[in-house]
Parts: sequence; C-alpha cells; structure tokens
Amino acid sequence: MSTGLPPRRGSNRPAGGWAPTLTPKTAVRIAILGGIALGLLGLLLIRLWFLQVINAEQYAERADGNRLRTVITQPPRGNILTRDGVPLVTNTTGENLVARPRELTGERRRQVLAKLAPKIGETLPALMAKVNAGDNQPLQSVVLARNIDPVLYRYLAERRRDFPGISLEETYLRSYPEGQLAAHLLGSTGPITAEQIKDLRRRGYAGDETIGVDGIEQQYESVLRGTPGRSVVEVDAAGEPLSRQYVSSRSPVPGRDVRLSIDSKTQIALEAALAEAARVTGAVGAAGVALNPKTGEVLALGSFPTFSPQTFVTRKEKPVSALFNDPDRPLNDRAIAGVYPAGSTFKAITAAAALRAGIITPDTQLESPSSIVLHKQRFRNFRENSHGVIDLAYAMRVSSDTYFYQVADDLWRAQSEKNDVYPLQAEARLFGLGDETGIDLPGEVPANVPDPPWKKRAYAGPDYTDFQRSWLAGDTIQLSVGQGFLQVTPLQMAVAYGAIANGGTLHTPTVGFEVRDPNGRVVQELSKGRPTRPLGVSPTALESIKQGLYDAANAELGTSTSVFGALPEGVKVAGKTGTAEPGDGGEDHSWFVGYAPFDDPSIVVSIVIERGGTGANAAAPAVCSTMAANLEFDPDLCGDPVASR
Amino acid sequence: MTTTMAPSRQRSGAVDRIRSAVAGIDWVLLLAVVAISAFSIFMVGRATVNDAAGPRFYLDRQILFTLTGAVLMLVAMRVNLDRMARWGWGLWGGLLGALAVVYLVGTATRGANSWIDVGPFNLQPSEIGKVMVAIVLAGIAVERLEDVGTARFTLFLTVVAAVPAVVVFLQPDLGTSLVYGAVLAAILFLVGVPWSHFAVAGSIMAIMILAVLWVLPNAGVKVLQDYQVQRLTAFIGAERDSSDAGYQLDQSKTAIGSGGAVGKGPDGATQSSGNFIPEHHTDFIFAVTGEMFGFVGGALLILLYALVLWRGLRTMARASSQVDMLVAGAIVAMIGFQVFVNIGMNVGIMPITGIPLPMMSYGGSHTLTTLIAIGLLLGINQRRSAIRG
Repeated sequence: MSTGLPPRRGSNRPAGGWAPTLTPKTAVRIAILGGIALGLLGLLLIRLWFLQVINAEQYAERADGNRLRTVITQPPRGNILTRDGVPLVTNTTGENLVARPRELTGERRRQVLAKLAPKIGETLPALMAKVNAGDNQPLQSVVLARNIDPVLYRYLAERRRDFPGISLEETYLRSYPEGQLAAHLLGSTGPITAEQIKDLRRRGYAGDETIGVDGIEQQYESVLRGTPGRSVVEVDAAGEPLSRQYVSSRSPVPGRDVRLSIDSKTQIALEAALAEAARVTGAVGAAGVALNPKTGEVLALGSFPTFSPQTFVTRKEKPVSALFNDPDRPLNDRAIAGVYPAGSTFKAITAAAALRAGIITPDTQLESPSSIVLHKQRFRNFRENSHGVIDLAYAMRVSSDTYFYQVADDLWRAQSEKNDVYPLQAEARLFGLGDETGIDLPGEVPANVPDPPWKKRAYAGPDYTDFQRSWLAGDTIQLSVGQGFLQVTPLQMAVAYGAIANGGTLHTPTVGFEVRDPNGRVVQELSKGRPTRPLGVSPTALESIKQGLYDAANAELGTSTSVFGALPEGVKVAGKTGTAEPGDGGEDHSWFVGYAPFDDPSIVVSIVIERGGTGANAAAPAVCSTMAANLEFDPDLCGDPVASR
Repeated sequence: MTTTMAPSRQRSGAVDRIRSAVAGIDWVLLLAVVAISAFSIFMVGRATVNDAAGPRFYLDRQILFTLTGAVLMLVAMRVNLDRMARWGWGLWGGLLGALAVVYLVGTATRGANSWIDVGPFNLQPSEIGKVMVAIVLAGIAVERLEDVGTARFTLFLTVVAAVPAVVVFLQPDLGTSLVYGAVLAAILFLVGVPWSHFAVAGSIMAIMILAVLWVLPNAGVKVLQDYQVQRLTAFIGAERDSSDAGYQLDQSKTAIGSGGAVGKGPDGATQSSGNFIPEHHTDFIFAVTGEMFGFVGGALLILLYALVLWRGLRTMARASSQVDMLVAGAIVAMIGFQVFVNIGMNVGIMPITGIPLPMMSYGGSHTLTTLIAIGLLLGINQRRSAIRG
C-alpha cells in the first residue's frame, strides 16, 4: 500500500503543535498539479497570442463584416439614342417581387414561399435557396421575380396580408420607344450568369444586378451602367440597425447616355428594305450595313429576321425560347456574324490585286467569251454571255467572269507557296476581309479569305487526299469572282467599298458616337481615334475601279443600271452586284455593295439577301431605297431590277 | 476581576478579535480575488448595457451577488473543515436531496432543470455542490487512508462523486458534472492513488466519450441532446460552422481576435455592443474582455487566475490537516479546471460545456460558490498560520 499521506491521526484537529501533513510524495503531487495548471494557462496565453496578435487583422475584418451592412441602390441605366436624337432605348419602371429575409423567418418562410412558388412559376427549393442566401444581407431585399405581369401584381397587391415578408419593389426596366428598330445593335439586359460572376465581382458588381447582354448594352456596359448607391449601416446581431444614421452613404449616379452614329431615317429605310426584299424573294435572311465612308461611322445596320427586344424585358419563357429555337435564327446579327461568299462584289478587289501586280493596266484589253478553258477545265460566263474584247472598267460594268478568270490565272501563277506569297488573298486582307473589322459590337466574326495553308488545315486528316488538300489554279479562279471558299460579312464588304469610295483609306467601323452625361454634356467621343489604314492602291488603279463601279450602276449594259440609272446628278451611285453561290446548290445569295454620291461619297451600303437570286434582282433595290432615305431623294427614282449579274 | 478593568479588557478583546481574525490572512490571494471580482462587476456592466433587461439589471445583481459572496467568504473562513468532514455523509445526502428537489420542482430554462426559484433569484444547488463534493470526498478519503491504493478505495470515492455528478448530468448540466469529476480526480491524485488507476479511469473515460458521442447515437440511443453534441464538437469543426454552437464559437473568436493586442476599448467593442457574442455576460464574458482589452487585458486576467492558483497550491502545501489539504487541492482543481475550460471554449480550443468563468461570469450561485471556496482556502491558510504562530 502506498499513500501520500501519513496514517490518520486520532483527532482531525491537531490539539497542539504543527502537524506535518506535507510528505515528500504529496509535495511532488502538488508540484505536478501546479505544473499542469501552469501548462494549461500557458496554452491559453499562446492561443490568445495567436488570435489577438498574429491573426488580429483577419478577425477585425470579420467583426466589421458582422456589424456593417451595405444597402445598394441601383441607378437607372443610360439611354441609347441615334445620332439625330431618336431614343432607341430608355427606361421605364416595373415591379419586382421581393422577399425581405428578416421578416420571413422560420417555418413561415417555407409556408409563404410554397404559396408563392406556383404563382411565379418557380419551385419551392429554388425560392428557398434564394431567400436563404439573402440571410447574409438581411437589409437587402431578395428579388424573387423580375417585372411581374399586371395580373400577378393585382393579385398580390390585394392579398398583401397573405404574403408577409413579400413585397413589390419598383425597378428600372429597359423600354424600346422605336419597337424593333435596331434590335440587333442594341442587345438587351439580363441577370449576371454564373460564368460571369467571378470576373464581374472583381469589377465591383454585387452579382444580382442586370447587365448588358450583347450589342451596345454589352459593349458600353461600363458607361451605361452608372454607379450604384451604397449606404453602410451599422447593425446588431439580429440585423437591426443600431441607429438611423449611415456610417457612410453615397447616392446612385445614373448611367450615361450613349449616342450612336446611327441615322434613324437610314436605319428605318434599311430595315424596311431588307424586309421588303425578303418578302419579295421569300428569303429567310438578309442583312445590310450603311457606313459613312469618310469616317467609318455606321449609319445603319440591320439583320432580318428581326425580333422585339421587349421580349427580353418581359422574359416570358415561351417567347424567349421561341426566339432562341427559331430555325431562321432571328437573334443572329447577320450584318456582323453572317458569312457569305462575296460573289462578284469581290471583283473590285481582284481588279486591285491585278493592277497592283501589274498583270493588267486599266487599258488592257482581254476577250470575254462565253466560256474559256483553263487548266483543262471549262469556266463559263454568267448565263454564257459573251462581251467581245473589253477593258477592266467594262469587265466590271458587265461583270464579266471570263475576263477575271484570265486575270486570276495570272494571279495564281504569281503566287508562291514556298515564299508564302498570295497576291489575291493579300489584296483581300488589305481590304479588311478575313479579319474582324474591329467594330464596337460584340459577336463579330472574322469570316475567311482562303489560301493554300488554310486549305491544308481545313482538309487535314485521313478523310481527305493530298489532292483535296492542295490549292489548285481553280481555287484562285473561283476566288477571283468571289466564289468557292471565300466568306465575308456584309460589314466587311461595306468597309472595303468604303475604302474605295474615300480614295483608299480603310476605316475601323464604329457604331458608338459619343457619351453624354445626364445633363447632355458630351463626355467622351467614341468614334474618334479609331485605327485607319491606307490601301496603297495607286490613284489611277483606283480611278479605273471606281469607273467600272460607276458604269456598272449607270452605263448601258451595267449590271444594276436598271435600278440606279435614273438617279439624278448629285446622288449618282457606284456599286457592284454580286450573285454568290452558297455552295450547297441552293438559290444564290444576292449582293449589292455601292456608294453615293459618286463625286463625293457620304454613304456606302452593303446588303445581302440570302437566296435572293441575282444581285441586281433583290439587293440593288434595297440599297437604292436605303440611299434614298439617307441622301433624301425620291425612292421611286430607283428602277425595277432586270436580272443580270 | 474588577469592573474598572472591564472596558479596557473589552476593548482589548475586540482588538484581539479583529487582530486574530486578520492574522494569517493570505493578502495576495485576497487581493487577487478582489481584483477579479471588481473587474467582473465592471465587465458584466459593460457587456450588458445594451441588453433588453436594462443597462443596470445584470450589473446591480452582480454587485449584490459579489457582496453576498464576500460575506459568505468571511463565514467560510471560520468553518472547521475537519469537523464538517465528519458530517460528510450528511452533506452528501443533503446535496442529493437538494438536487432531487431541483429536479422535481425546478424551473425549466433552456432545457435545463437546474435551479430553484427563491424570490426574484434562483438557486443552483449543483453549484454549491462543487464545494460540498470536495469536502465529502476529502472526509471519506481521510477516514479510509489505510485503503489508499486499493481498487476498492478508488471505486468507492468514484461512486460517491459519481452519484451527484450523474444527477447533475441528467439535469442536464454537463459542465458542472465535469467539475465534480475534476474535484474527484484531484482528490484521488493528492491522496496518492496509483497511476494505474488513473490509466484505467482515463481509458474508461475515453470509451465513454466514444460511446456517448458516437457508438450509442449510431445505435439509436441518444444520451446527449443534439445541441449538447453540437456544442461539444463544434470547436473541432470548420471555421464558419452554421450551427448555433458553431456560430457562438465563431463570434467569440471573432470578438477576441478583433480585439487585437490592446483591445478596442469598451465603446469600440462592436461584437459586444452589437450583441454578436452569445451569453456575453456569462459563459462568454472572456470574449467580451478580449475584445475590449485585447491581449493585454486577457493575459492580465489569466495571470490573476495564475496568482489565485499559486496561492491555492501554497495553502495546500502548508495545510494543517489532511482534510484541509485535500479540500484546498480540490478547490484549486475546481477553479483551475473551470478557468481552463471556460477560457478554452472562448478561444476555441475546448468544447462548449457551459462552465462559467470563476468570479468573472455573471451568476449568483456560482459567484457565491467560488467566493465560499476562496473563503475556505483563506481559512485553511489562516488556521495553519495560527498554529504556527
């Protein structure tokens, strides 16, 4: 038996003298007890040091996050107007259905949301998740449904008492006074998607805002958005504000207006012309662009079929999904994202390439038979017309294919795969084809100028033979008349012809013109300072191309003389028709690209009518009526088309 | 004796009485206790200024508790523990009786049946039970010193402590029952129970913890309430736990950490004034202290406790009887255990067990109990000095 204590004594109370209760063994145990106490208190001190000295900052931030709540007020977005001041997008107000998490707690949250869910077409778990997520920001209401329709509004307004914690909150909505006008340009606004949220948070978004989706709304989001108001309130643990005063407060700053270079009359005329051409020809799609050739400013940009941007404000599921699933793809902006072979409109570029390479001069005479055989292959003229011996301007006027086939053959001979020299493709790229124009709109495509390396890549793999991969003379010959693998957008063709019209300078097209603050003061010019590039085509060469384009629209036998020939001096048009074979054997795409007035061009218009037949047939009248609106001449002066290339 | 001598003798008798009452007092211990108690009154007042009950509700009561405790402390100093220990079984029975009464007529508060209403106040017998268990165990141990080292002795003492501990546990008041355990362990340790017994007891404890927290719940038997399990395990869990216990812990750590080195001062302590710290005047008063006075304040408070524990150990080593020594040791263990577990849970290294911080946390019964225990310590020291002197 071992004990730390001496044997028990007779009495507990020592009668006299000092009773030594402290044996060495007890002393050791007391020391151990003291050691444990010391160790544990030391542990507490170390932990305290860790929390309060090493990690103090982190916890201080957390404490601030606890006590400070930010109430965010969204500003109205800026308006979007045409250059001549017609508002295309403004704001109106609607009612959002919101929940206040603080007033909707416990079992009541589930009950109220369960009643609400079917009314707004949501599921209970989705609503619960939304409101639960709002618990972190109890002063901020959680949006359950945006812009609810009047029927639901009345229903809820009458039964306020049945839905405690739920209320209606006024919100800004986009409004389109001109209806569908310029729908493709404008874009819409919508909630931030899960993919965007991380990037946008870094740029100061909270995540529950609506942002610009596509078009000008997306491109100029930072200008249109404005600055949200931020009021910081100090709250207690229950989320109750401690006082009526703000720790800090900043009012919302409304977004700034964006004025486009769009001219409302031209835009209306262009869209009407596209719709009319589509109606006449039964085309499923059409697109057009009008530019100021001197500046690159877009005067009109349209795509058919179009849609009502209001659909994305109302956000009814059916019409929205109908738009997305429509096989005619009305949401697709064909003017910047539609790709088509250029057809004969490309001949101006072939001409420039041949003149630059010295293959021809403006005066070179070549025979233009109904067909010619090159490399053991017969290439036919359109409708097997023959034009005799002609010069470049005449070849442009009548759109002789055989003339350009012969030129193309020489251009093919001038190319060198070894040195990566392709005169025709290089010329096309100089004119801005095969690359994005750099317009201030999202969603532009580069399209494609085909060359030997491209063909190798495109036909790579075991499915193709080396022969299929190789670039043949026929490929260059096809390209010279804008057929084959070539793909261009209507915008690219407008920019290219704009460079011809203005004497040889390629402009970056712009839609945004200027930014104005809510007081109407111009704070930023959007169309200024965009890159330009000289074509480097000699003046005489340019003159002969221009002459050809003028003759094609005005001279006898010109491909579009029937349409433009009657226009008076001062609004004379120069331009080229195009009939592009889509490559699938279907009906041809109809092109026209031209500018006016010939002497001092102020507008260049490029229009394609999908499967509209010949260029003169469908596209040329559309260009004429668009120009009529811009140059203010009588559209009845535009003649009826006669089918020719 | 002559009557003329009487006044002088009476006067000298009174002086003597005061002199003898004051002689041998451990002034260091007393000063430390006064300092902590005064700080407690200040902190309870500051922590509750924004409470719904009114800015002075808790403050006034804590002052009253402390003053009552001071009187009881003086009484406790005069208690003869050896004599009291002879009535050990009576104390034991009385404690069990009081606990039973609480269980039967007690008011349910926060799921716990641990107090009896006495007028506007309520009494928690389990609190004073901490001291009573210490005295009972000390008495029994000293009575059976011949058996020390046998399993019978260890088991017997364990059962004596376990009966009230289990009743308290069932109230349910896990924290207090753990304090009973600490008192038992200290007495067994000091009386010289072999290490092997501690090893066995430790193993049984580990198995029981496993059983209560894991095996039995999985087998469908619920020993602890859900909130208890959550509180016990929250400190192991993730930084930002959404459960109530996790929230408490998170807010407590945030308060302490944000206090930094020197604290935000009573007016800048947003975690306290914004009501973010739960139980800010009771279990989590250390968090409020840490936020207001930072590392400096927290460390000073811990040093004051170190002072108390050191004086307790010193008293123990100098005790004039075995019962005195064991009771002193049990009191040191009781205070030390509570200080460590409470501050430990405030800083997130111990489970949340609802153990108050001695002399700091608001609360009548526990303030009285701790001050009585301090009184016993002071008395033990004084008796020994008296014998020596």
